[in-house]
Amino acid sequence: MNKQLEKLISLHDLDVMIADLGRKDIIKREMEMGLQSDDALEELKKLREEYCGSINRKWRGLYNQLTRHYGNAVVPALMGRCAGCLTRLPTAVCSDPERNMKIHTCPTCGRIIYWAD
Amino acid sequence: MLPRELLITCSTHTVFYIREVNGKGECILKYTALCKFELSATSREEAIAELLGLFPVGERSQNLLAGALDIREKVGATVVHNTIVLPHCRSILVDKLTIAVGRSEAGIGWPDKKIHTVILFVSPVRLNAPQDHTRFLSHIAGRIKKYGDKIVTAENQKELLDLLGFQHEELESR
Repeated sequence: MNKQLEKLISLHDLDVMIADLGRKDIIKREMEMGLQSDDALEELKKLREEYCGSINRKWRGLYNQLTRHYGNAVVPALMGRCAGCLTRLPTAVCSDPERNMKIHTCPTCGRIIYWAD
Repeated sequence: MLPRELLITCSTHTVFYIREVNGKGECILKYTALCKFELSATSREEAIAELLGLFPVGERSQNLLAGALDIREKVGATVVHNTIVLPHCRSILVDKLTIAVGRSEAGIGWPDKKIHTVILFVSPVRLNAPQDHTRFLSHIAGRIKKYGDKIVTAENQKELLDLLGFQHEELESR
């Protein structure tokens, strides 16, 4: 898998983790179990900065732009379709065994696509 | 309280299905859980990798999930009831809530506590997923609160999963 694509997926998961720390239902459950750490959010934000620094400026810019617009910048391809907008993706790309070796975007919504292995 | 039903199928490792059904008998939620009773791992990283090895995803996805779970553990260890640990996260790399339960008699360094039971789960990132995530978290929290000591000393896989609320019936070997 393309290293930049891996980093974008990890960045997405990190953003979900940060967003979850703001969700009252998750915080409540985790606090009941004693799983919440006071400085977790700050540490995650610091880690996010580090991650962002290791991502190519072009892809980082696209990621931030897509996140602001859709809320999710990276989506899987499901049955040859973009999981974000359900547009059918080009057959030539979907059938390429090396499809995860470069970063592909949805021709309609522009989201970054990956194929689950 | 919704009735739960768990169906087991056997393969190289044990796969458990917990189905939650509503009053009309309609399946409204289905969890998949994988179990490895004897973990060989001795460290946190090894235990997470060993349990992720059961996940129906490729090696690259397993590595990315291991990275996400590692970050979660670094910002706040998920150790509960002294020797039970609940590594968990939400990720776009899975399409349904996937659970892997592991147990180590010798103990796993986590990293400064010795733990014996690992309940690892990863939820997907989609609209209704936070509800699945919190629902499962509530379920596990309740079981640990009620049977924490028994879970730690469970002698076999069936007992461990029974204590975790997996009512089950064996169907057939695949």
